[in-house]
Amino acid sequence: MPQSRVYLWFIGPALLLMCVILLIPILIAGGLSLTDYSLGNTGASFVGLENYERIFTRSTYEKMFGATFRYVFVVVPLTVGLGLGAALLIDSLGRFGDLYKTIYFLPVMAALIAMAIVWEFAFHPTIGIVNATLERGCGTVLERWDWYAQGCERTFPLWLNDRDYAIWTVSFIGVWQGFGFNMVLYLAGLTSIPPSLYDAAEMDGAKSGWDRFRLVTWPLLGPTTVFVVTISFIRSFQVFDMVEAFYPQGGGPSKSVYVMMFAIYEKGIQQNLMGIGAAITVVFLAFVMILTLIQRWLVERRTHYV
Amino acid sequence: MSQISLRTITKSFGETPVLNNVSLDIEEGEFVTLVGPSGCGKSTFLRILAGLEAADAGQVEIQGRDVTAIRPADRNLAMVFQSYALYPHLSVAQNIMTPLRMRDLNRLGRLPVIGPLLSRAAHRKMRDQVGEVAETLQITPLLDRKPGQLSGGQRQRVALGRAMVRQPVAFLMDEPLSNLDAALRVHMRAELSELHRRLQATFVYVTHDQAEALTMSDRMAVMMHGDILQVGPPNDIYRNPASLDVARFIGSPRINTLPGEVNGTGGLELLGVTTETRVRGLRQAVTMGVRPEHLHMRVTGRFSGTVRHRENLGSDIFVHLEVAGAPAKVVLRLAPAEAVELGLGTRVAFDFNPTDILLFDATGARLAFTHPAREVA
Ligand SMILES: Nc1ncnc2c1ncn2[C@@H]1O[C@H](COP(=O)(O)OP(=O)(O)OP(=O)(O)O)[C@@H](O)[C@H]1O
Ligand SMILES: [Mg+2]
Repeated sequence: MPQSRVYLWFIGPALLLMCVILLIPILIAGGLSLTDYSLGNTGASFVGLENYERIFTRSTYEKMFGATFRYVFVVVPLTVGLGLGAALLIDSLGRFGDLYKTIYFLPVMAALIAMAIVWEFAFHPTIGIVNATLERGCGTVLERWDWYAQGCERTFPLWLNDRDYAIWTVSFIGVWQGFGFNMVLYLAGLTSIPPSLYDAAEMDGAKSGWDRFRLVTWPLLGPTTVFVVTISFIRSFQVFDMVEAFYPQGGGPSKSVYVMMFAIYEKGIQQNLMGIGAAITVVFLAFVMILTLIQRWLVERRTHYV
Repeated sequence: MSQISLRTITKSFGETPVLNNVSLDIEEGEFVTLVGPSGCGKSTFLRILAGLEAADAGQVEIQGRDVTAIRPADRNLAMVFQSYALYPHLSVAQNIMTPLRMRDLNRLGRLPVIGPLLSRAAHRKMRDQVGEVAETLQITPLLDRKPGQLSGGQRQRVALGRAMVRQPVAFLMDEPLSNLDAALRVHMRAELSELHRRLQATFVYVTHDQAEALTMSDRMAVMMHGDILQVGPPNDIYRNPASLDVARFIGSPRINTLPGEVNGTGGLELLGVTTETRVRGLRQAVTMGVRPEHLHMRVTGRFSGTVRHRENLGSDIFVHLEVAGAPAKVVLRLAPAEAVELGLGTRVAFDFNPTDILLFDATGARLAFTHPAREVA
């Protein structure tokens, strides 16, 4: 008796779509990363792992990794921490919670390009509100602080255009923009904690807020935290539009803000070096893949309570 | 002096009054059950006793100390929640140990890895206590599991263990058996009574199931619409309910009620029959209550009805009769042998002993009555 082929109709469409829009492009990128292909050329020659070798030896790419990891390791802990803190504070509020929720979530919804322009003004070395405010503080006790005194004597930092400050300034804006998103995820996580657990904790003698947090809130937010951390990592690795808006050419002062996504764009699109662009993309995918695997492992191991 | 006393507790949620001036005294070592229909305020009352909810007015005293303004953690009570409220991320052993960790260890001793090293003796003692409790409740093989991997009955025992591991002034339980299946519920009823005998501790138990209240408690308090209507030993309440509401709520199947009238000479008239029962007082409409086990099939019975439904419970058979003039079906409890011949539609004559009835006036309060032979109620 012939086996029914109906199942093909059930899985077929999804499988086909996944191949066409996900797997095949990845394979093509993987293939291109082994060549020196440029868009418009009729042919390309196979160069082996030369593109990858460049990524891991040239100083430009060293800067790329440096900028990316600085950004990621500032933005992820801060957005997660601030997101959790804001969620806990808002959750403890009765009446104005919704108002704060909206305020903190606004940057997430705003168009980042527009926000970038505003921040560019704010951080402008001479007419920007940041340095203008800092100058107000000159002559007060704040001058005891060496960094401040130096700023008063000469000038305050150029922020976005100083290679020592640029990546941190961009990270700051990234935090400002991103923590509202994590806050909303944490708020959802908080509402799913059964109130009776807090009653039980109180009966068991957990008297301080910290005790309750350690005994109930933090462990029960475990699954949320794994998700929030993973998504924050991926979002931070993907940072692009802000860098493109601030530094359309070259990735910031001395390439100090030359993050991966921008590098892919610059090499692959601006300079039409498809091979190297594809190679960076593959490395990027590898990072995201590793993060996802870690997340799956954590979810299955520790935070799955039933 | 009683060990726990609640005085004139009043509570409302917004506009909704939930408790109106409720008072209750609980003696040491007693098993007191609060029973009442769903939504009557039992949980709220228990939570006020625990301190998890603040009363609008009234006092709570525990061992002679006014604890109205004292937080739950400092009242030295233990509670078993309806949903058990076990910490899902902790193993059974850790769940049971939590009250000890929170109360007997300082911050340092509670730290994950260093804690057990710093206060080794304290940790060993706590582990021993947990082991003992687990032994008592027969959950030793489950100690390393997470609550998610337990059955309902096992979770219930863990929740009990978490309450038992300390020596609290009283155990508060909010419908701890309501999530279990019928057979397990009956089994746990016996186990809880046994546990109460062994621990000699005070139990305050909330339930909407009158069977639980009747079987387990030393005293029960019947609550309805935010008032405690009657407090007393289960048997007293069953035999001698103070009002129609209590009589209707306690007992299954429900007490039969028949409309009646007291005539000008104080005689009770029921469904057109004048009985020998005498009521002192005026001409008035009354309700007579009689429990199914007090109705007897008798050829000479003064009342009669048609069989409309039979419920066979094996040991007993409940026969539902349609009686002319009675608003609801009248239920008789019969032995299986008696009921063999009673098919649907059979006409049955029945009667009762005049001393077995209860009389209520129009407001539902008990009415005293006399019987020519002897005085009752
Ligand atoms: N937090 C609350 N806010 C508003 N109303 C409440 C709240 N908690 C309870 N109520 C109301 O108070 C009344 C009594 O509630 P309670 O939980 O004490 O009932 P219960 O007797 O325990 O019922 P059940 O047997 O169903 O558990 C109910 O009418 C309920 O709707
Ligand atoms: Mg309740």
